[in-house]
Amino acid sequence: MVQYSSILDWINFSDPNANPFTPFLSDNLPYDICYGLWEIIGGALAWLINLLFPDNVVSAWLLDERTMVMFALVLFMLVIFIVAFVVVLLNLWMERKVLGRLMDRRGTMIGMKGFLQCVADGLKTFMKENTIPSKVDKMTYMWCVSLIVGLSCFVACMVPLSDRWYVVNYDTGLLIIMAFYALAPFFILVSGWAQNNKYSLIGGLRAAELMISYEVPMLIIIATVSLLAGSFNINDIVNLQSEIWLIIPMCLGFIVFFFCAIAECERPPFDIAEAETELVEGWQTEYAGMKWGLIMLADYLRGSVSCGMVAIMFLGGWTIPFIGGTALPEIVFLIKAWFVFFLMILVRGAIARVRPDQILNIGWKVFMPLAVFNLAIAVMLKVGGFY
Amino acid sequence: MAMKYLDKYPKNLAKSLWIMKPVWTAFKLFCKTVVHRPVTVLYPYEKEWIPENYRGRPGLRFDKCVGCGMCVRMCVTQAIKLIEVDDDNGNKVMRPQINIGRCAFCGYCAEYCPVDAMTVTPEYELAEYTRYDLLYGPRRLHYENTTPGMEVKLEVTLPSDIANGNPERRVHIFDVDKPELTDSKCIGCKKCSKVCPVNAVTMVEKGTNDKGKPIIRPEFDNAKCISCKNCVDACPKDALQIKEVL
Repeated sequence: MVQYSSILDWINFSDPNANPFTPFLSDNLPYDICYGLWEIIGGALAWLINLLFPDNVVSAWLLDERTMVMFALVLFMLVIFIVAFVVVLLNLWMERKVLGRLMDRRGTMIGMKGFLQCVADGLKTFMKENTIPSKVDKMTYMWCVSLIVGLSCFVACMVPLSDRWYVVNYDTGLLIIMAFYALAPFFILVSGWAQNNKYSLIGGLRAAELMISYEVPMLIIIATVSLLAGSFNINDIVNLQSEIWLIIPMCLGFIVFFFCAIAECERPPFDIAEAETELVEGWQTEYAGMKWGLIMLADYLRGSVSCGMVAIMFLGGWTIPFIGGTALPEIVFLIKAWFVFFLMILVRGAIARVRPDQILNIGWKVFMPLAVFNLAIAVMLKVGGFY
Repeated sequence: MAMKYLDKYPKNLAKSLWIMKPVWTAFKLFCKTVVHRPVTVLYPYEKEWIPENYRGRPGLRFDKCVGCGMCVRMCVTQAIKLIEVDDDNGNKVMRPQINIGRCAFCGYCAEYCPVDAMTVTPEYELAEYTRYDLLYGPRRLHYENTTPGMEVKLEVTLPSDIANGNPERRVHIFDVDKPELTDSKCIGCKKCSKVCPVNAVTMVEKGTNDKGKPIIRPEFDNAKCISCKNCVDACPKDALQIKEVL
């Protein structure tokens, strides 16, 4: 382990790949792809510039190893975000089609079996006027929406798709994801204050109320899973389930975590913060145009993170029992995540929205005892030597 | 403590599972609609089957029409107007013109048309860019694929018929509504014979009066009469009236 006396040592590391803290030492598939891609693009650029101006500095700079790593990292960010974005668009399309079938409708019909409706919606919100009400607290108003959208994108990028498709492989990966995931309700509350609107304020307060009711059982379930795995590392949790999925010994925990995950991404039936039949649009009332579009995108990003967490913690992540790894573990993981999202859509189509007092009852009188009971089962399994 | 809680909030696990019932119902519907397509019809591309006597816009068979004006009289929204047009031989004839913007699509014009020239048609996509385009002239009202099912028949069972032990439905009640002449009021002006669209009125001499001039009285051919009441309306002395059977 290298000891750093100053952060400048980390930044001025002479060879990035010799840094023991770099996440891209080996077996990171998107980084390898991006590096190969930049070798082609940067090499072609350098060759072209060298053709015009022989023996120039720019070509040499482009072909330098450190420059290549820098541009590969830029491409890497793009690739990771675009994959998360496409997964979210597919989630959105699936929600519209499945919800349509649940209601005996057809769902969206525009282009590619309705998939291009997402693009049309995005363009529509993009073209709308960017109005800001005159009496809002502008700084808080803009910062809150930026932080909510940014945190959601950040968390969506943090979820690993497989043991070779990840951003960072920390020992505390699960904790970091959940910590950033739970930050958004605070900003929802603050933006409810900032908008100077009674509907937004009630929506923000309801988001806070929702958070205090589901957060504790959810964290207990996370503690239970990490107790069985002996680690917060997502790889360890997935490897734990190579023989038997955790949903079988901990089906109670799965149910509790599934509903808490629905509440976490504020989807119906727990969308009391954005109850469009009671409050106009909840805490999003005063956000117009592309701000609102980005908030919706953030909602669905959080939904995909919820599905990913359920798939990682209870459905074995990217492994299949008795087979282990497959040639395309990312696809296996995404199929599991989409199955969880299908269950979420089913719950959304079937069950009515709960009242704000009911969510407190459910959180503290149903989910909390079940989560503690589940923890007791996990402790017994651990003491009995099964895990 | 726990017992107190359970007394206050009795928990029956089987009863708590009611939450699965709507989920199961929704899942069943999902499976059904995945196999059999949803009920929604993609309207501009698919159209629903419509019956033969669907009450779309009115249609007119130009050659059958006699220009009696019955449709004008029956129209509830006064959308129909008689206008003068040339027929195929170049003669001036009166034919109905319909303002679709006012039309209520009730089908009364087709129902009451005595010669079944007016029909209903299955056309219902009638949007136009200007109000003027909504005026359907007699030639434009023509519908290509008119079938006998589009002639809306006025089939009724009269109470008087039932009382007489004859419950058969009359296809056309106007077969029995006939104009009646009050002889003392008639002045023999021949207006009724001029307005009759089917030439059912003939003027005949019935002797002479005190001054030796001929007395002319209308005679009605019941086989030709279509009960359009044009003669009743035209009579200047109210000598004619319709004798209704109802």
